[in-house]
Amino acid sequence: MNKRKRRKFQLNEKQLGYAMVIPSLILVFVVVLWPVAQSFYNSLFDYRLNDPARSQLMLGATIDLERYVDNHYYIDSQLEDLTSGEENEEIINTITSIKESIDQYHAQLISDEEINTKVEKIDEMLASFTPVTDEDLKYAKIDNDLASDYREKLHSSSEELTAIAESAGDQTKNQKFQQTADLLEATSGNILESNFIGFTNYGKYFKDARMWNSLWNTTVFTVVSVALELALGLGVALLINRAFKGRGLIRASVLIPWAIPTAVAAMMWGFLYDGQSGIIAHYLEVLNIIPGSSWLLSTSGGGMFSIILADVWKTTPYMALLLLAGLQTIPHSLYEASNVDGANKWQQFWGITLPLLKSSILVALLFRTLDAFRVFDLIYVLTGGGPANATESISIYAYKTLFAQQNFGEGSVLSVIVFLCVALISFIYVKLIGSDLFAGRTK
Amino acid sequence: MNKRAGIGFYVFLAVFVFLVMFPFIWVFLTSIKPPGEIFSSFKWFTSNPSLESYDAALSNRPLLRYMLNSFVVSSLTTILALLFASFTAYAVTRLPIKGKGLILGIVLAASMFPQIAIISPMFNLVTDLGLRNSYLGLVIPYITISLPLAIWILSTFFQKIPFELEESAKLDGASPFQTFRKVVFPLAAPGVFTTGILVFIAAWNEYLFALTINSDDTWRTVPVGISMYQSQYSIPWGDISAATVIVTIPIVILVLFFQRRIVSGLTSGSVKE
Repeated sequence: MNKRKRRKFQLNEKQLGYAMVIPSLILVFVVVLWPVAQSFYNSLFDYRLNDPARSQLMLGATIDLERYVDNHYYIDSQLEDLTSGEENEEIINTITSIKESIDQYHAQLISDEEINTKVEKIDEMLASFTPVTDEDLKYAKIDNDLASDYREKLHSSSEELTAIAESAGDQTKNQKFQQTADLLEATSGNILESNFIGFTNYGKYFKDARMWNSLWNTTVFTVVSVALELALGLGVALLINRAFKGRGLIRASVLIPWAIPTAVAAMMWGFLYDGQSGIIAHYLEVLNIIPGSSWLLSTSGGGMFSIILADVWKTTPYMALLLLAGLQTIPHSLYEASNVDGANKWQQFWGITLPLLKSSILVALLFRTLDAFRVFDLIYVLTGGGPANATESISIYAYKTLFAQQNFGEGSVLSVIVFLCVALISFIYVKLIGSDLFAGRTK
Repeated sequence: MNKRAGIGFYVFLAVFVFLVMFPFIWVFLTSIKPPGEIFSSFKWFTSNPSLESYDAALSNRPLLRYMLNSFVVSSLTTILALLFASFTAYAVTRLPIKGKGLILGIVLAASMFPQIAIISPMFNLVTDLGLRNSYLGLVIPYITISLPLAIWILSTFFQKIPFELEESAKLDGASPFQTFRKVVFPLAAPGVFTTGILVFIAAWNEYLFALTINSDDTWRTVPVGISMYQSQYSIPWGDISAATVIVTIPIVILVLFFQRRIVSGLTSGSVKE
């Protein structure tokens, strides 16, 4: 830093540098790193959005106060109602004892200052028919022992009342007791036990044939399509690496498949493959390449063939462009020198082109492999993972578990598996590529 | 390899271009057929072209609304990503800070993270913020894709600007931020623009977040909207072809105008110069 006059608030270069980096880093942490960590955390729970008893992450016992307060409100009056008009001493004693113990547990529950305040607040809200939307208010942590004792008591009381209901002779009495028994059972369901299950979900998926099948499908798709794209892309790049008229046209026609949304491409190919009106299915059948026009989308082999062909169509041009750019950096003099030495084209390819193209190829392969391994929209739109899960990739399986079954615990396990695979693939490639990846960016 | 291009070469080019463009050609030819003809024959050209499919594509589903949604979401995403990324790329390439390798490593790793591993917490976050079925609800998750991409490409462009200009700006008494704003940024403008195009295309094409977060029909984006044209029982190929043509036209225009820039952006990360 040389001596210059500065205004007071002016940052020096270093400070400015950190100030410019920090907002992006915060964003990356919030929208990328935190969600991945959260996914991993979710995967340790039996966490289902569509099941009120498991729609929360609960490390300890928790009580759904909204439902509990609502149910508890009726318990007293219903139990009272059961004793009135009852002549059997024994039944009266049973009911009184149930009532006493519930009162006792309830008193113990609201002896906690925080829960008591929440209960009062929810009471008011329920009285005015306001739904409780604030999660912090709705759920409260309670002591694990109290939770299991109270739960157990409500459950056993419910059973006692059911027994009375069943032994009761007349219909009305039976109904009355059964109703109260159901109410107690429902209340016991509002006291939630911890749904932390550790690595149980992982163990489950480790033995899940569908998971291994989807992992296999993803691997086959990735390896075959990336290999084809590399071979074809390299061929095209070598052929068009020369001066010719109409480069602009080639470039544009190559960019359009890359630029259109994958979902749109998948719809187009869905039409071309269609068993009735699909032109590609029709031609392939006429040429006897496939057994019948419906083979493409209704058999497992055909399904895999279809998604690979569509992917090769969409990304080969992109691969060719990347490799062409790499080819153009190879000095022409190298070829001239080897011509003088009498090397043939084949020797030149293996001796000059490939070694010098190595880092371009690896970088292109890295990005393509990761993209292919994460494949979602192409398969989701084109085959939906079918027929009979034959084209289901691991991302599709994860999506279905997460959003069709609303099972965020198990779905997160699958997404963590995708993440680990992707991390492993990147690790291998980055080791192979080494510091070249950062070349030209940092000084 | 400055080989001369012969007849055989041009034949090869013609075949290549035809193969690459075939799906578009066929879909376009289908879109102007009367709907009855689509299912009955494999004839290439129809004798009585009609715009019926276009009419149906626009009236059966709010296709123009999808395009508007995509446009707004992608534009907002691009502007935000460029704003943050240009700061970061500048600092990483040209300012004396520590941990540059680490920062770029985090950025690169972030761009490799699978979206499926991010989607469920992101879905909960957007739901809790009450942003489902809104533009902002998609812009937030799109940062995951666009910001690392933008930083990665922009840093190559910033790196290429000669350091001499910056030095002389410093000597003239410009503050570091003034140097960035008045000297480096204008010089990098073409690179920033190129990055903008790539980020825009990436956001326009995104599917998974758009599918889960904006599930209401009026908030769907183009890729999701198009994929919803098929119903359980029948597939209106005429509508789909017409809709595909309509949504592909803006992309074709974009590509035709900016093809050089797009190629330079795409290849900037993969080639050592």
